[in-house]
Amino acid sequence: MNMALLRMTLKKNWVLIAIFYGILTMYLSVMISMFDPEEVNKLLEMVEMFPENLMKAMGFTSIATTLTAYLASWLYGMLMLGLPMVYCIILGNRLVAKMVDNNSIAYLLSTPNSRIRIIITRGVYAILSLILLFTAVTATGVLLSESIYPGLLDIAAFIKLNIITAMVNMVVMMISFFFSCLFNEAKYSSLLGAGVPIIFLLMNMLSGVSDKIEYLKRFTIYGLFDPVGVINGETVWQAQLIYAAIIAVLFSSAVLIFNKKRLPI
Amino acid sequence: MSERPLIEVKNVTLTYRSGKGVFDLDFNVKAGEIMGYLGPNGAGKTTTIRALLGFMKPDRGECLIGGLDCTKNAAAVQQRLGYIPGEITFPDDMHGDEFLKFISDMRRTAKNGHKGLNNNHKNRQKELTELFELDLKGRIRKFSKGMKQKLAIVTAFMHDPEILILDEPTSGLDPLMQNRFEALLSEEKSKGKTILMSSHLFEEVEKTCDNVLIIKDGRIVKQSDIHGLAASQRKTYIVRTSDAARLAALMEGENFETGPLASADSLEIFVNSADTGRFIRILAGADILDLDVKAQTLEDVFMQFYTGNTGDGGAAKQNEHGIT
Repeated sequence: MNMALLRMTLKKNWVLIAIFYGILTMYLSVMISMFDPEEVNKLLEMVEMFPENLMKAMGFTSIATTLTAYLASWLYGMLMLGLPMVYCIILGNRLVAKMVDNNSIAYLLSTPNSRIRIIITRGVYAILSLILLFTAVTATGVLLSESIYPGLLDIAAFIKLNIITAMVNMVVMMISFFFSCLFNEAKYSSLLGAGVPIIFLLMNMLSGVSDKIEYLKRFTIYGLFDPVGVINGETVWQAQLIYAAIIAVLFSSAVLIFNKKRLPI
Repeated sequence: MSERPLIEVKNVTLTYRSGKGVFDLDFNVKAGEIMGYLGPNGAGKTTTIRALLGFMKPDRGECLIGGLDCTKNAAAVQQRLGYIPGEITFPDDMHGDEFLKFISDMRRTAKNGHKGLNNNHKNRQKELTELFELDLKGRIRKFSKGMKQKLAIVTAFMHDPEILILDEPTSGLDPLMQNRFEALLSEEKSKGKTILMSSHLFEEVEKTCDNVLIIKDGRIVKQSDIHGLAASQRKTYIVRTSDAARLAALMEGENFETGPLASADSLEIFVNSADTGRFIRILAGADILDLDVKAQTLEDVFMQFYTGNTGDGGAAKQNEHGIT
């Protein structure tokens, strides 16, 4: 870790966090304000007007009647995966491959800091920034719910839900980061760093369309992610352990690959 | 240990997938020496520097700086190094002063006692900025090419490193600033700095360097001290005489190469610097109307290696003869 580099990375990328925090907050407030305890049944009727498969594809798997389950289903089934994914893809590519591609990493490497130290600092920033983003989103979610519907949100379950969602997004971040360390050209880094997570997300959506292809989801990083299940009290530590392991493996192999490779700078 | 060269390149081969690269490079730069590294574009200068900076590990051989392997101990090597990249790109969206501050902070590691740039270094940064009349305000992205080059020079010299690796350091500088850079180099040399400087500008190397390496197609084709190279310079004399036949007879057997006749009464004769006296004594025996000198620069010497053996082979051979 190099604190000077961490500070500089934050200085050059905090705007990105702010933008995505803004977008996520907007969806949060819209979703929370649309929840009406009195009219949950009306909402159910409305949902039934749409084809079931379409709703499933969008991640609205079960119709929730509590505020917490409502958010888990409507917000965390799809939007809380897709939107942070865009953040991960942009940041992952920026942190390494872009600097190698345009040679500017030469200036980082011509200071007395090892490659490992530099790349770990960049990766730690990637993880920390997601933690920051999700902490802010969780706090905002709790505050908004408490101010609009005091007492309705199951705060403990909501926090648990955000932890697992943050972790699945960290996996996405590490996929992008891994390809960013692997390739010297930003175009290949963004092709695979964006392509692989997007394919996972599409497979996750498709698996909701029909029971026949529901197994597709199991081949993706979203196979262990069941937001409504989390709210209903299912255990998640196994999933968390597996996600943590994937994050650790991707991070350390990215560092090792970057340490060994030739840099045409 | 004081005898050990500070920069050692030992039998280094580093090839790219295209088959280009550098092959069996073997040279040293001693402490306090300024080594010029000459070659045309694509000859392998930057590749050598990539290996020395630890950006690329050689396929075979090793690069050592201060006795440390440049790949394995890159961080420790960088502690003593100042570097100007050949193709300079600064991190996006930084201001000039912000960038210098950031690089100073990056040099402040746990291992070097949290000091980074001390006050002397801060003064040095200020001196250099003034020397090159560099305005640090504003975004680097908006800087002109010359300003970026100046910023790169300040970055490389501000922490007063003992070893400097400079990849075409004066590109983009105007002649005034090139002179100031040369003055900076001789100042650094007087402080005992060790410098490896790549260039394709012959005058620059001629003025500033002690020794010269010439690289062509990835191989070192010549290593010489600058005086040896100067001594190997041939001059071309154009001699106009009233009696061309008599002059030709005098020159016969004297082992001077003659060029094509410039006109009916003029003879072009190539003379190594070492043979100048003998040449003049021979001329004294002929009726000379005019004597013109076409001086050759280091560039001409270099071009003999660059253009290869075809056609000019005899001249190149004669040069080597001149050195021994």
